[in-house]
Amino acid sequence: MDIKVDRVVDAQGLACPMPIVRTKKAMNELNTGQVLELQATDKGSVADIQAWANSTGHQFLGTKQEGHVYRHYVRKSEPDEVKEEMTFPHTVHNDELERLLNGNTEIRVVDVREPAEYAFGHVKNALNIPLGELEQRLGELIPGSELYIICRTGNRSNLAANLLEEKGFKNIKNVVPGMSQWNGDVERD
Amino acid sequence: MATKVAIIAANGGMFDAYKVFNIATAAAASDAEVGIFFTFEGLNLIHKQAHHQLPMPAGAEHFAEGFQKANVPSIPELVSMAQELGVKIIACQMTMDVMNLKEEDFIDGIEVGGAATFIDFAKDANISLSF
Repeated sequence: MDIKVDRVVDAQGLACPMPIVRTKKAMNELNTGQVLELQATDKGSVADIQAWANSTGHQFLGTKQEGHVYRHYVRKSEPDEVKEEMTFPHTVHNDELERLLNGNTEIRVVDVREPAEYAFGHVKNALNIPLGELEQRLGELIPGSELYIICRTGNRSNLAANLLEEKGFKNIKNVVPGMSQWNGDVERD
Repeated sequence: MATKVAIIAANGGMFDAYKVFNIATAAAASDAEVGIFFTFEGLNLIHKQAHHQLPMPAGAEHFAEGFQKANVPSIPELVSMAQELGVKIIACQMTMDVMNLKEEDFIDGIEVGGAATFIDFAKDANISLSF
């Protein structure tokens, strides 16, 4: 299965340290928040990409293996990424959303993270619309319905919630803190 | 503050070169500040001609095939990659004098300095290695 990413780095057939070096170079050209896929056949890359993400501060999303090819997904973050102020007034805590999901009420969760983040774990039946695409994809949402907006830490969902309200949507809730601390069930693609 | 890695390269064989440049490029690619001090036989690793034909250790010549099969980059490739990633290369002045070598005998983009130059770089390093 192909996950939509902003940049693919092909390091198949290359030995250590080339997969990491190629990743580093490509990462320099990406914007914060964009997602890179590293394709490698080097078995050491499985541990190395995680260690590399750990020392550079980028967000390791996960690895998929197809035959002898590993696909590693990393999202670019800046070490000094400023945590934006939560400006959207209507929030619900993770626990509350989890309770609602376990109940009988039909509710719509919109996950505004990147497709690769979504692929490695999301709330059941959540609709994935990355923040950057939200404005073009408003048609997929029902204006009057209750919408629970979620991301990793509440930042992007805060922006999304504000945008939706501006566009005339009612009953919007920002889910905090978001998937980074989600304890409920998750689905994987 | 970024991690700082200080390396001394004092040996001139092919295996030594891979140890030095693999660690150096991996560290630099992980956003570390890296400096290598090349001294004695280590100067081979940055000598214009010598670094293209570094000797394998005696009895290990059969590994040449393994290097090829694993698609390991050549030493000149690793050196230019290291420089591109900002690895600082310092050649030891004293050894150069002893071996009668000039700065132009080495690859471009190096610095020449004495032990104190390396110590000044390494004094606040998080990782110090010697190969």
